[in-house]
Amino acid sequence: MPLNDVLSELGMMPLRAIAFQSLLLMVAIVLEAMVLRQQLRLGYRTSMQYAATINLLATSLGWVAFLAIEAVLPLSLRSQVISYVLFNRFYTNDWIDTLPVIVVMVAIVAFFITYWIKLQGLLWLLQLLGQKPIDTTPEAIESNRRQLYARARRAQVEGQRSNSPRALAVLQANALSFTAILLLLLLVNQTGVVGW
Amino acid sequence: MVGGLFSFLRQTLVELGNLLGNLVPPRYFSWLTVIYLSLFSWLLSMLARLLDTTAFTVGLLATMSWIFLAIGVGWALEANKARIFGIPIAPWVSGAILCLFLFGSWGGRWLQPALVTWPLVSFAVIAVPALVSWDFSFKNPSPAERQRLALLFCLSLLFSSWFQFYFRIQTWVRDYPSLVADSVENSAFVYRIPGQTVALPAGVTHLTVAEELLREQVDNKPWPSVERWLLNLDGQRRVMRQRVRSQTGRTGSLEDSLWQLDLQPLSNGDGYTLKLWAIWSGPAASPSGYYLEKTCLLMPINRGGLVPENTPPGYSTTQWASLTCDLETPRLAGHPRGIGARDQV
Repeated sequence: MPLNDVLSELGMMPLRAIAFQSLLLMVAIVLEAMVLRQQLRLGYRTSMQYAATINLLATSLGWVAFLAIEAVLPLSLRSQVISYVLFNRFYTNDWIDTLPVIVVMVAIVAFFITYWIKLQGLLWLLQLLGQKPIDTTPEAIESNRRQLYARARRAQVEGQRSNSPRALAVLQANALSFTAILLLLLLVNQTGVVGW
Repeated sequence: MVGGLFSFLRQTLVELGNLLGNLVPPRYFSWLTVIYLSLFSWLLSMLARLLDTTAFTVGLLATMSWIFLAIGVGWALEANKARIFGIPIAPWVSGAILCLFLFGSWGGRWLQPALVTWPLVSFAVIAVPALVSWDFSFKNPSPAERQRLALLFCLSLLFSSWFQFYFRIQTWVRDYPSLVADSVENSAFVYRIPGQTVALPAGVTHLTVAEELLREQVDNKPWPSVERWLLNLDGQRRVMRQRVRSQTGRTGSLEDSLWQLDLQPLSNGDGYTLKLWAIWSGPAASPSGYYLEKTCLLMPINRGGLVPENTPPGYSTTQWASLTCDLETPRLAGHPRGIGARDQV
């Protein structure tokens, strides 16, 4: 059977990962869009677009990071990653005792890196869309020259002031989506297939 | 009569004209023109090859042909509003043609770079017309368009990562071929289409090598020397592992260090049952791992025919060893020496 030959040639495909990730991404995008909409007073469509963009950016950069790090891991740790991906469990080798610690550390670090990427991504996106990251204040009517000097002097303060609601909103959104994803993953693994 | 012939000829010519009319593009600025350009440059490149021109000329003409093909097919699909679930497929098809062209000529492992870059190339196919106008000056698209492009870029990066992940899994399987022999039912990541013939784990080869060594060492040897051989079990295990390492070392994959070979004789009547074990200490679907077992029967037999003429009486009772091994190597869960013994092996 030629079709079967082709299929066995394909071997193991990450179809479950793709399905899972699509589902989790949708959940995360909807939740984050809700938070962004409430906190930043955006329109429904706009908040969905922002949330989708920053989540897709964070996810794909996460993949790039995973693929890069996996390639340089020591062999014994790499085989634990393989074990987790293929069999959904870790196997007994030198790393088995430290693995839970590593997993928790990686999760925490991933949370903060994701947060930073999402915040930066949102700022880039706003810049790309030509929306000023700084809110227009009465001083904006002042002459260009004065404004330039003033902006240079106040850049830091101004930036912090206008970014803080955004930073807070993205932090809340990120926390909410991470919690939801964690709960979903726990639910899925409730069947007792996790080995450790 | 003659008039009838003329009218018939005219009719034929008109029909022919109509037929040709379908092949001629309605306007010069249409996708059919571009496809013809592609065909034309392809024919020219063939001609150039026939005329033995430089490789550069042939390559240039072929490249033009590919690029025109990508543009033409994309244009045709877009003009006919070819859509799957409301998503225009034109850029993806154009991107696929461009990737085929870019990497198809590489030979060898060209599929991986082609598939990995496909989403990104398709994104470029969408983005370039939106960002660059006909006179190669930079266009400033509307914010909505920019938002769409940003989303599409992130999405194509994600698709590309998925393809890359697929190829990473194939690399793992190349490095650790025995993983294929295990079940991936529990995986949250990968799926294997059921009904495939599953390869044998590499441990089977190791057991075969070990059996050959065993045959050399004890088969058809005098029984006392076999008994002596069995006394130095640790030494024999070491020799066996060395032999397997040197035999498989040439094709060596990373997983060879994860197979542990072991040997245990159990007394069985006059002779022994030899258990050969290939123990997998790598990732496995079952929590306690698994091992492969080969059972051999080592028995003393009397062989009067081999006794030389001038031997003292009593020698004829000397027994010789005979080794018979099972062909099958059943796969058993757990560890042959129990879980606790794993470290001391």
